[in-house]
Amino acid sequence: MMTAPAPEMTTETDPAMTPLLDLSDVTIALRQNDRKMVTGVSLSVMPREVFGIVGESGSGKTLFTRTVFGLHEDTYLAGGTVRFNGRALPLNGYRRAIKKMLGKEIGYIPQDPYSSLNPSMRVGRQLTEALYLSKGYPMRSQKAQDAAVALLAEVGIPEPELAFRQYPDQFSGGMRQRIVIAIALSQDPELMIADEPTTALDAFTQRRIMDLILERSRTRGLAVLLISHNLELLRQSVDRLGVLYGGQLLNVAATADIGAREIHPYTQALFDCVPGRDKRLADIASIPGEPVGAGFGTTGCAFAGRCAFAQDICRSAPLVTNTDRGTGFSACVLGKGARHG
Amino acid sequence: MAEQPVIELLELTKSFSSGAFVQNRSFALGPVSITVNSGEVVGILGESGSGKSTVANVIMRLTGFDEGSYHFRGADVRAFTKADSFAFKSKVQIIFQDPYGSLNPRATVGASIREALILHKRHLSRAQMDARVRELLAEVGLGSEDPGRYPHEFSGGQRQRIAIARALAVEPEVLVCDEPLSSLDVSIQAQVLELFKSLIEHRNLTMVFISHDLNVSRLLCDRVYVMHKGKVVEKGIAQEVLTNPQHDYTRQLLEAVY
Repeated sequence: MMTAPAPEMTTETDPAMTPLLDLSDVTIALRQNDRKMVTGVSLSVMPREVFGIVGESGSGKTLFTRTVFGLHEDTYLAGGTVRFNGRALPLNGYRRAIKKMLGKEIGYIPQDPYSSLNPSMRVGRQLTEALYLSKGYPMRSQKAQDAAVALLAEVGIPEPELAFRQYPDQFSGGMRQRIVIAIALSQDPELMIADEPTTALDAFTQRRIMDLILERSRTRGLAVLLISHNLELLRQSVDRLGVLYGGQLLNVAATADIGAREIHPYTQALFDCVPGRDKRLADIASIPGEPVGAGFGTTGCAFAGRCAFAQDICRSAPLVTNTDRGTGFSACVLGKGARHG
Repeated sequence: MAEQPVIELLELTKSFSSGAFVQNRSFALGPVSITVNSGEVVGILGESGSGKSTVANVIMRLTGFDEGSYHFRGADVRAFTKADSFAFKSKVQIIFQDPYGSLNPRATVGASIREALILHKRHLSRAQMDARVRELLAEVGLGSEDPGRYPHEFSGGQRQRIAIARALAVEPEVLVCDEPLSSLDVSIQAQVLELFKSLIEHRNLTMVFISHDLNVSRLLCDRVYVMHKGKVVEKGIAQEVLTNPQHDYTRQLLEAVY
């Protein structure tokens, strides 16, 4: 039925249209028993795009992120292709290959600012070490020190020269997270992974750190992959959103569509649960039942058991995957939220 | 109109002796004045470190206070006799944030709830107690086989329901909820929010709702107190304070939340 591609769909050679990160049918399994936890995830993050991944606890979002970026030892990439800047990474020795890119093309901001810095090393040295590893600046050189101080200033640390000589425990959680961001930026990455970067922080600090990440992304032309359980935070921060549930990618939606257009029933149900700023008590509708964990498999929709629209076909049809990786995608077999139908 | 408040804290202060490892932190509460009237849902809101949990602990009499006064239904809690204190425990109940830590892992759910009945509802026969346990669990949305199961067999949301059933077992006048939703996933949070809504409607509960979640508080509370650094910076009708705040701190906090 599809006719000629729409005019805005340009050829692969257009650098603006080559996805920075392109995942095709990615399946993640446990090393222990080869159980497939995350199945058939296809999505792409464009250059300069801020892309979010949302999921409840157990949905597989952390497993997914940590495996794709080589940070998880108990899981492996069991199938699919990961491309970075158009280059496919080998499935064999995937972890080694992606780890080489981590700290260079890919920066990573972990969740807990309290455990991600070395408590016995001065902040300055942690930065100059990162600069040595990514850019080869000699660690004690003036060049490395100047670059480190400039980075601390860039992430909004007051008195960066002083901070350079201090230890992590002399900083609050928010300030530590800024230092972690400075370290991630020191490598001039093209893609920044932020895995629940503000969950450990209070509301004010959360907002400031999110603002910092988004502002740095705009200024540096940096793509960001933001993982969170907080739908409202993502809705206000990212351009597009991938929704994971039971280890399945159920929806990729432009955040502007959430609450405005038909989206996948799970994303809609999740949005209806969130006590947002403009909602009344009557607007809040809970989802019956309990969330299913990652590893639901590829037969049927993981959300069918809780979905208000579910029919028999939802439980038996094979999982719909996002093969063409267009801007939007819905895995709903009933066609709900499918914009390209 | 001149009905006596259920809980009345007047110019109450509390200071902690700071240990050798604690620096630069204000550990004082107050002076705060907080009133909770019968049938009201009162929110105590603030960031971590604002003193809101200390208020909960003072109300529960889990911790003492320095200056000021605390009256429960007009009676000075400092003048409580042993019998008064025992009776107080069945009148005020608390639900904690962590449903994993607040239930005895080695007792079945039924035994945990029955324990409260044995202490405070001694006139009931064993069969009546069993029936009551099932009624309570049904009220919070759990099944009839559940009394025989152990806490680890339940999910976080279900455990929070069990904690609620247990708190309700003694038919308290006041239910203090210390961040009861914040460890739950959104879909489960909405379920428990609906449960609170129905409990408030059906039981005419007086509730003290301690929370950092301004959106949930706006939906659930009648009145709120906004705390900052141990003091109340703003108080009033929940809807008004949380949509049109007057104090700078509340305004900034509202702008910060997602």
